[in-house]
Amino acid sequence: MKKITLALAATAALVAATAQAHGPTRRKISESIEINAPADKVWAVIGDVKNADWIQNVTKTEVTGDVPNKFKRTLTLKNGDQIQETSNKFKPDEKLFSYYIDKVDVKDLPANDYSASITVEPAGDAKSKVEWKAAFYRGYMNNDPPPELNDEASEKGVGDWIKASLANLKTKVEKGS
Amino acid sequence: MAPRFCGTNLRPHVGRGRAALAAGLVLAATLARAEPAREAIVTAQLGGVVEVVDLAAGKVLRSIPVDGAPAGIALSPDRKRAYVTRPEGHGLAVLDLDAGRVVAEVPLPGGPLGVAADPKGGTVYVADWYGHRLFVLTERDGTLVSDGEIAVGASPSGIAVSPDGATLYVANREADTVSVVDAKARAETKTIPVGQHPFGITLDAAAGRAYTANVTSDDVSVIDLAAGREISRIPTGRRPYVIALSAGRGFVTDQYAGSVTAFDLATLKPIADIDVGDHPEGIAADADGQLYVANWGDNTLSVLDARSLKVLKTIPTGNGPRAFGDFLR
Repeated sequence: MKKITLALAATAALVAATAQAHGPTRRKISESIEINAPADKVWAVIGDVKNADWIQNVTKTEVTGDVPNKFKRTLTLKNGDQIQETSNKFKPDEKLFSYYIDKVDVKDLPANDYSASITVEPAGDAKSKVEWKAAFYRGYMNNDPPPELNDEASEKGVGDWIKASLANLKTKVEKGS
Repeated sequence: MAPRFCGTNLRPHVGRGRAALAAGLVLAATLARAEPAREAIVTAQLGGVVEVVDLAAGKVLRSIPVDGAPAGIALSPDRKRAYVTRPEGHGLAVLDLDAGRVVAEVPLPGGPLGVAADPKGGTVYVADWYGHRLFVLTERDGTLVSDGEIAVGASPSGIAVSPDGATLYVANREADTVSVVDAKARAETKTIPVGQHPFGITLDAAAGRAYTANVTSDDVSVIDLAAGREISRIPTGRRPYVIALSAGRGFVTDQYAGSVTAFDLATLKPIADIDVGDHPEGIAADADGQLYVANWGDNTLSVLDARSLKVLKTIPTGNGPRAFGDFLR
């Protein structure tokens, strides 16, 4: 009798898990920050792709390939892990840089198939606005993600990293002005 | 004039009814321009809505809530109903487009994403991108009911149906193949190897060809339907997704590049990259030489001219428009 109850309970749990299971849907995040400096000055930092020290946790930037047309970039993080990126569009006239991540540990950034674009535009008197748009799938690509890699946690993880990076950028640019 | 097909499945222009057909016959002698599409039916996945966009006015007419992350879309032959997949709700929603509401929901297991309607009516096919199967849905008493499955390759995505409804072509994303399926026998008759991770598939029945957008090999496979094999590859921008055909050209959305690559259907060579919005996904052509592109990242619909290769208009949409399938009427 006990066995039957357990079996029933297991079946019920399986049904519940199946009912909740769903495939990942690509998420998007858009974060922006206002910086007290002209857009050219802000772009000078973002456009210097060989130095990404303003990106959160980055300690070293290595670039290979044809800068600024088509290049790959490896960001080394504080914990020694690396993020490998490929440039997509680099347009100084539009103050736009877009790229995608080829390889990252989901422990460092809970995302798969991550792509992003960063733009700068003037926002009034000697001010500018930086926008960072990212698109990605959650850290766990199959059904039933662990809590730390579900949609919500992945959005929060990526969003916090972008917000921290933009804050670093603001500090770096404003200090240097 | 041969009909033009676009999107991930056939878009026969029979939906305008007899009046339009008669008008077409009368005007044919003067080589009148074909009628442009009036509306785009856009699945705004992150917004949880399906939007009816008035293309002339450039604005959303109606917004119909559909939960479960609406993604794929097909239209009934009379263009009055939309079949929308809900990969996170597990199923298909049937929408009455004139009434602006969901009239039926068909629950389905797995990950229903790609969808196509038989141009002859009566049957809708849904691809399970977590499985190796198509779900067959049959119209009964004015609604759709589950009516069996067809085994195909791994992670079926886009589906195209021949004009006579007899043959299905399915892009199998994880298998890097296209399944050719006898619809009546409900059996795969041939497997055609293509590029890496084919997603959208578009049929040019008049020319005897099909095209797949290969997401990870950054190219388009050209398939000769009679020979049953790939005959060419056309390079695209990063992450090609869906193909539409118009004015003797193919147009493929490049998700990462934020562009549409145009290629020549005769030479099978690229012509130009046209900048559109961020992460373009669904694309479809009307009979008037205009293309409509759903930009997932920007929440817009770009309108392109197939001849001048220029963006004519950009229309705002809800959050995360995908419109993966046949979405013009």
